[in-house]
Amino acid sequence: MNIVVCIKQVPDEESIRIDWKTMTIMREGVDSIINPLDYVALEVALDLRRRAGGRVTAVSMGPPQSEESLREALAAGADHAILLTDPAFAGSDTLTTSHVLARAISKLRPFPDVVLCGMQTTDGDTGHVGPQIAEELDLPQVGGVMEIHLLGDSLVVKRLSDGSLDTIRITLPGLLSVDQGPCRVTHLPLGGLEVAFSQRDIVRWGLAELGLSEEEVGFRGSATRIQRLHPPAPNREGELLSGSPQLLVDRLTRKLEALRVLDEGDGK
Amino acid sequence: MGNNRASNGVWIFGDYRSSFQNRVTLELIAKGKELAETLSTEVTVLVLGEEVHQYAIQYIAHGADVVMAAKHPDLRYYQVEMYTALIARWIEAFKPDILLAGATSFGRDLFPRLAKRVHTGLSAGCIGLEVDPETGNLLQTTPAFGGDLLAEVVTSHHRPQMATVRPGVFQELPYNSEAVGRILYPEIDVQPDKRVKLLASQRHQVRKNSLEEAQVIVVGGRGLGSKEQFELVFELAELLEGEVGATRPAVLAGWSEQERLLGQTGKAVKPRILISVGTSGALQYTAGIHGAETIIAINRDPRAPIFKTADLGLVGDYTTLLPLLLEALRKRIPRQ
Repeated sequence: MNIVVCIKQVPDEESIRIDWKTMTIMREGVDSIINPLDYVALEVALDLRRRAGGRVTAVSMGPPQSEESLREALAAGADHAILLTDPAFAGSDTLTTSHVLARAISKLRPFPDVVLCGMQTTDGDTGHVGPQIAEELDLPQVGGVMEIHLLGDSLVVKRLSDGSLDTIRITLPGLLSVDQGPCRVTHLPLGGLEVAFSQRDIVRWGLAELGLSEEEVGFRGSATRIQRLHPPAPNREGELLSGSPQLLVDRLTRKLEALRVLDEGDGK
Repeated sequence: MGNNRASNGVWIFGDYRSSFQNRVTLELIAKGKELAETLSTEVTVLVLGEEVHQYAIQYIAHGADVVMAAKHPDLRYYQVEMYTALIARWIEAFKPDILLAGATSFGRDLFPRLAKRVHTGLSAGCIGLEVDPETGNLLQTTPAFGGDLLAEVVTSHHRPQMATVRPGVFQELPYNSEAVGRILYPEIDVQPDKRVKLLASQRHQVRKNSLEEAQVIVVGGRGLGSKEQFELVFELAELLEGEVGATRPAVLAGWSEQERLLGQTGKAVKPRILISVGTSGALQYTAGIHGAETIIAINRDPRAPIFKTADLGLVGDYTTLLPLLLEALRKRIPRQ
């Protein structure tokens, strides 16, 4: 079974801070990680390979430093890694991002049986790219997948969708966007990390290799544009209190009284 | 398709599969009506299914001018490929200006594929929609960088302008039994995609959880450190007759179900009171709680970003604070 997993390098949300004066992300001290749900997708890919054999190819579109995430994917056990990078890709919205990724996937021989994506990224949070790759490649898609079973030339998957648990059979080739399911993430041994960093090659494809023109990617190819960034409704930053635990608890219960969550006074 | 100021209408995808989804459809009709008035056009709701007449009537009563109803046994189950094909043909035929859906699971599955098919832009999980008085473009406000900034997205040269909208952002109009509208049953050609087959569907049972409706929510985060500590959050919520929410680290650690996840990849909530315990205040999480009227945060690090989002911040160690608070509350709230 040939499996492609799409991964995106994102800033570690725990380390992101906003500079409120310039309203930009403070780059300093921000770590980059594999988007958490893409990491789940990678684990699913490796698990599928364990059960069905085949190869796992990790594909990432991004600036050159996204190579780090692909190295991590190789270290985790991916067989191949392809970095889609070109200055012309800057400013791509989901329409053009999915175009670049779909083009890259369509060049793979043999054509993959399964394309896996994380349901969403923590930075863009659109969840669009998976379904849009499926559309461009004319693949069936299932989103929100939490469980996968092999069944001949198809997969039986479970997904949680608006409060109902659906069991779906999808004929391959197909695309799955995986969500963090009830199955726990077991962290992968990164023993291969050093080997991955030193030895394995990462294929790099840009506009020319993908046979794309500048008009169909990046800012120019995108249908949406961010016109303005502004802060949401006023930052609250109310009263900040420290002191003995008893004092804090008293203050909290008084607040709950004031908000009428608790009745005033003792007892009922 | 270029910038065409003459508007061909505001379209809403009628998602009716549960009362929760149907409510977001009604909210969108109300907002769509406002946008349509500004653009001097009409609100049309698309409703696809096996038995859809009752929804068509309901949508008219809640403010829709037109309902386009596709009635076919094969449309009984939501299927992305089939729904995409049908709606894409309608878009090509009628060229609407705006197309909206609730940011439900299905809306988030269907709309990206549909936008790609008709080659237009899509914004995700919007919390605001306005018509730009100068250009007539739809200004789509969506949380960016985890919600600490809002991005105004425009789709200037492609039509329709598509957006998914978070449930609970807009107010539905009251039911008006005297409202008048048109219900159209266009001829349709439905081709189920045999590559995707729904084998079974069951209501998913979760521990009591109606976060979107809860008045009081207690949220636990990574700082709680263990499943045992996290159980204190459940106890606190129970005493306050509230619900439990969780940040992603807490969900990943297995302390809470996925359905309780708040934030950018989880739910957005708007309780009267939200108590946040052991959460650092990552943007990913705070994106989901801006709608809370009052936020109380407990964290041992006085510099934790969560305090910037809180109305009342308590700097302290929850391992001592929580048991003390539970004890104080138990004394005051008689046991049932």
